[in-house]
Amino acid sequence: MTTEATQQSAPGTGTKQPPPQRPQHVRRSAMTVAPIVGLVVVFAIWELYVRVFNVSPLTLPTPWSILVHLREEPGFYWRHAQVTLLEAAWGYGLALGASLIVATFMAHSRFVERSSMPVIVLLQSTPVAVLAPVFLIWFGFGYWPKVLVAAVFCYIPFTINEFTGLRSVDPNAYELLRSVSASRTEIFWKLRFPQSLPYLFSAGRLCVGLALVGAVIGEMFGGSTEGLGNTARVGQVRLLIDQLWGSIFVLAFIGVIGNLLLAAVETRVLRWHSSQDLPGGSAAAL
Amino acid sequence: MRGRIQGLQPAMTGPCRAAYDGAVPSPTSGGSRTAAPSAAGSSARSIGAPVSISGVSKWFPTGRSFLHALDEIDIEIEPGEFVSLIGPSGCGKSTLLRVVGGLLPYELGTVTVDGNSPAQARDTKQIGFAPQTPSLLGWRTVRRNVTLLAEVNRRGAIHPPLSESEILELLETVGLGDFLDRLPKELSGGMQQRVSLVRCFALGAPVLLMDEPFSALDEITRNEMRYLLLDLWERTGHTVVFVTHSIPEAVILSDRVLVMATKPGRVVHAETITLPRPRSVQMEDDERYLVHMRNVRRSLGEVSAR
Repeated sequence: MTTEATQQSAPGTGTKQPPPQRPQHVRRSAMTVAPIVGLVVVFAIWELYVRVFNVSPLTLPTPWSILVHLREEPGFYWRHAQVTLLEAAWGYGLALGASLIVATFMAHSRFVERSSMPVIVLLQSTPVAVLAPVFLIWFGFGYWPKVLVAAVFCYIPFTINEFTGLRSVDPNAYELLRSVSASRTEIFWKLRFPQSLPYLFSAGRLCVGLALVGAVIGEMFGGSTEGLGNTARVGQVRLLIDQLWGSIFVLAFIGVIGNLLLAAVETRVLRWHSSQDLPGGSAAAL
Repeated sequence: MRGRIQGLQPAMTGPCRAAYDGAVPSPTSGGSRTAAPSAAGSSARSIGAPVSISGVSKWFPTGRSFLHALDEIDIEIEPGEFVSLIGPSGCGKSTLLRVVGGLLPYELGTVTVDGNSPAQARDTKQIGFAPQTPSLLGWRTVRRNVTLLAEVNRRGAIHPPLSESEILELLETVGLGDFLDRLPKELSGGMQQRVSLVRCFALGAPVLLMDEPFSALDEITRNEMRYLLLDLWERTGHTVVFVTHSIPEAVILSDRVLVMATKPGRVVHAETITLPRPRSVQMEDDERYLVHMRNVRRSLGEVSAR
């Protein structure tokens, strides 16, 4: 766990001293600032490229102009972001709930596993975006088709990861619990489920983005008049380039915030897991 | 050491307490808490239970044929006795342990643990199991890992698990008193194995089955662990069936060392260890220790030469 500093002799003195190291708070601050530095560098290159090569704002506006546009119309984006966020969150939650139930049954029964696998492979192999018009026909132009598209996008990663996690139990710990005739329910709650959490969080991070993609696609296909998918589509059709890029920026912002929140929860819940031994825990892996 | 045992006494009740006091429990209190035999060299504080293995044979299906894993094994283990199984890889030591623990079915013969079938003994939590690796649950602290086995199948248990104060005392005995709220990843391999041992004892089961619990440790830690196990066992007097590949470990720990041969797995030699108890590291220089070591080594040599 701890690494002993290599002892070195200071030249001429003969005494042993640890090699000089930067103070810990300096290293920690550097790690916190690093992601911001990365973003600033990318935006600076983008800004410079557009200005130096005089790129048309219709092709690519500068990030600064997009930020200025967002500042001018915060209410507009906030209203539409709420709609998309809610659709994505519902879709995310539905997929998580359904996958937990299905994966639990699959992990406990070979028959359920074998009968579910073809359906999962079929769903995995189908570009699920094409289901958006189908849901539109089934459920109309309302809120739920978008939620369902978001849920379908998240369902497969959640189910496969949770199933893998539930199956990947330590055989020795499993045998230990069997040696005192622990029930299936006890083995599930004491061993299988906690051990599957790293897999579930891994899928959870992936699905933050997928839920947003699902909600946006649902809005684009669903003839919606609300949501960031709709504002982006309208921006593209009417050549409102600032609106198109504004929608993209807000979507990206929501995705980043969602991931950071999840990483914070993961760092707390999975503090026992080796993945959290990285400086900064899950947030560092973003 | 004796003082520590007395320190444990006030928390104990029922047959467990009676066993520690040396009183013979009534038949209804379960035969598992009877006095230890003189073979174990321990006093009446034993809470062990007898284990009887009679004519047990087992086969494993391997494709179209069968592998004869165990052949008519007959072993009688007295309450409070420490028996080690030693032999080459594949001789069926771990299989036999799992048969006794009710974790594997067997085809022929009879196994009883305190008069019950292995499945009944498992259901009534009469068997504590220590696997090859510590198998601690990473999300549980040391304290909560130790109580894991007591938390499940509560209704089935016919022997009460150790109380919290007794568990704390055991953890302090093995040097983990300052690590109660640490996670397994914060412990060394030796410390994790100590938690595993305490977890096994904390169940309060009269029979403990240990499957090479020290095999993954370095030699120095392993040596330290065997005396720690001796210390724990000599305080409690459980019946222990211990699988090992180490001759010194088997001799210093056991009342009896059973040498097993392979193809099919069977007991070919039983070495009764005459070293007095309590045992200490100084006994490794004792003439009797060296004689027992030689006997077991020769027996193993004959097994390998066949």
